[in-house]
Amino acid sequence: MANVVGSSVCRTAVDEGKPADWVPGGEKQTVVDPMKMFHELPREKQFITGSEAARESMRRANIDIAIAYPITPQSESMQQAGYLYDEGYIKEYYRAEEEIGTFSAISGASRAGVRSLTATSGPGLMRGLEAVSSWPGARTPIIMLNMCRVINTPLAIQPDNIEMSFLLNTGILMLHAENQQDFYDYPLAAIMASEQVDVTLPAVVSTDGFFVTHARGPVSITPEEYKLPPRDGWRSAVPAMDNENPPARLSRDAPIQKSNFISYHMHSSWQQEVFAAVERSAKYFRAYLGGLVEVVNPGAEDFIIASGCAVSQAREAVRQEGEKGRTVGLVKIKTIRPFPTEEIFEAVKGAKRILVPEFNQAGWLHKEVCSVLYGRTTGVIKNGPRVYGGMTMPTEMILEWLADFRKEVK
Amino acid sequence: MLIQDNLILTRSDPTGNGGTQFIYRVKDYGLAAVSRPQEEIAMIHWEVEIVKFSGENTTSFEICHTTELATKTLKFYTDKSLNEFLEKSFQYFEELGSLEKMLPQEP
Repeated sequence: MANVVGSSVCRTAVDEGKPADWVPGGEKQTVVDPMKMFHELPREKQFITGSEAARESMRRANIDIAIAYPITPQSESMQQAGYLYDEGYIKEYYRAEEEIGTFSAISGASRAGVRSLTATSGPGLMRGLEAVSSWPGARTPIIMLNMCRVINTPLAIQPDNIEMSFLLNTGILMLHAENQQDFYDYPLAAIMASEQVDVTLPAVVSTDGFFVTHARGPVSITPEEYKLPPRDGWRSAVPAMDNENPPARLSRDAPIQKSNFISYHMHSSWQQEVFAAVERSAKYFRAYLGGLVEVVNPGAEDFIIASGCAVSQAREAVRQEGEKGRTVGLVKIKTIRPFPTEEIFEAVKGAKRILVPEFNQAGWLHKEVCSVLYGRTTGVIKNGPRVYGGMTMPTEMILEWLADFRKEVK
Repeated sequence: MLIQDNLILTRSDPTGNGGTQFIYRVKDYGLAAVSRPQEEIAMIHWEVEIVKFSGENTTSFEICHTTELATKTLKFYTDKSLNEFLEKSFQYFEELGSLEKMLPQEP
């Protein structure tokens, strides 16, 4: 299957039913500097679902190959990716057999030096986690879209972002989209950051399934005639394999995989380098996203720290408190990895009360926040409210927690 | 997109179900239109309530099922049909506001 002129595979666009003079959509686009795309190009406001926002992001991302296995609520987005393949904005696309195969195959594609995209949801991520955890060490800049969903029994397909906690220590770059707009912007930023020479890591953009993917929201998008620069597989920390000239070397560094004293040290330093690269990515996200966090009402005594959909509910709580004359601060965390330690500290160092609302049972963000603020602030950090298993978090819930918190901590 | 005239607030649906709510206001009346997630996205629609405001705050309103516009929650399946209703409603609210001013005020 191929719709690219000069492809080495046998089927052509004509075989797929396209007219002989068909030009893939991607070939009609103009490459634009990423900073210009993120900050200067005019934007048109549309009211679209998160899945459609992901489609428009993919359309502008100059993707060479997409591989995915369907799972609710991810399927809708990858159906949209199928339309992009048909229109010639994604050069290759196929449905793999299941997630271990999907994530292994996309790793191979990335090692070959092309821009590679996959997507999944909760249980699918769990199934393929072995392969995903190998991506950072292999220094494969893959982009993965993750539409969060319950992973535990009893079976449910509703939003719950516990699965993100399983990625925290893999070395993958992690972003958490609040809404449809973020699900358009973040993948583009993640692609460019992940492919920088001093980063060369995979990136996952998570969002809370259904609330974002299957609901419409306002999204400002750039003109579709512009796309990101292509990936240069040789401009990376570990050069791409040259599959045209076998034998290709599959292992990144063979001595590491031998069991001896030297190999342990090499493996240790290899891991250190991966996590150092995560930290180095921060400067790119700051440039592309205008910061790792968004802070509302700096200097407030009461603060809410949140990521993903919890930000939207917290934002409304902050707004309603403002109408009543009470100032509540909000820190929206855009990047979970790299974790914006200093930005969070600077924002809440004067706060008395800090709430961390989450859409999961474990409270992984609360633990992250506590670990970076421990011993540095005098504010009390409260682990909640938390909802999970598909429960909703009404704005009133956050307002009630705030009211109780004020009574507990004067 | 929905029309932006008289739009006083766009926010995440405060019930926490996901989706977006638009609140319109003309004098003391208005509309709250919400678009929530659906498993089958072709079924995404607008649910619209006529509301009556009791103060200046954006959320100081109650659902009003006693106008000639609607006696129940309304559903619209396209932006176009809702936009047409919005324009009709704005005109109605203007007239209603003027008529209510003519009524004797409670002491």
